[in-house]
Amino acid sequence: MELDESPKQQYSDKEKENIFNGEFMPHINSMYNFAYRLTLDQDDSKDLVQDTYLKAYRFIDSFQKGTNAKAWLFRILKNSFINDYRKKSKEPSKVDYQEVESYYNSEEVDRQITPDLRVEALKDMIGDEISNALNALDVDFRTVIILCDLEGFKYDEMAKILDIPIGTVRSRLHRARNLLKEKLSEYAKQMGYKNA
Amino acid sequence: MSNPDQPERKNECPNQRECMEMLQLIVDGEASPEQKEHFLMHHLEECMPCYRNYHLEVTLRELLKNKCTGQAPQELIDSIRAKVIPIDGR
Repeated sequence: MELDESPKQQYSDKEKENIFNGEFMPHINSMYNFAYRLTLDQDDSKDLVQDTYLKAYRFIDSFQKGTNAKAWLFRILKNSFINDYRKKSKEPSKVDYQEVESYYNSEEVDRQITPDLRVEALKDMIGDEISNALNALDVDFRTVIILCDLEGFKYDEMAKILDIPIGTVRSRLHRARNLLKEKLSEYAKQMGYKNA
Repeated sequence: MSNPDQPERKNECPNQRECMEMLQLIVDGEASPEQKEHFLMHHLEECMPCYRNYHLEVTLRELLKNKCTGQAPQELIDSIRAKVIPIDGR
């Protein structure tokens, strides 16, 4: 449970308001974007963000002022998504991480050539290709790209947000980026880049 | 030396797997200063596949940041504020 592990604070109403406005609300754009990329639905993402903020406010005494509010909020949002949204959505079942780990540790990684995508092709993708490619990834791969590449979380922060070991963060990122590049490489071919 | 066609760059990387891992640490800001210096200042100057991969990774991240982030709708912000303040007892 994310909400009851830190020591209880006793904030006054004024302090609560200051924390909420000063430390929580500044992350609203990142939170909305995370929710949208997870649910891929505007209404669901609004509900998810609102639920998360209300929950954060209700449990504000378990947040320590001055610590990483963004990571704390992202963790609540991620857990709400898993508990409330994922089960009712038609997301395909979870990635088999065992398979991912063994893939990462196998010799296949050595043989596997990075999808032959060129910078020039990438720079010509001025429409929705990047966004579509990201959205097309399985939600667990999508998540690590969002946390790392869009939001700039460190590996140890991602490990805490996702409740997984750092080694798994790294292998999942590696695999996610290769899948993303494969997708983009397909788009580049469609755009006429022969060698993309 | 920014010309990607430097003749002295090798076309095969002898340590592809290690380099891919190092590259990931660097673009994710998790590499030590020494690791960064060795890879960016020395290895990239002599290895074409890593030079290309590095620039691809950097470009991809820039694009992701520019294309896949947005702003929360104002109505959502207003709605959250409106719901939180009553809890506050005001």
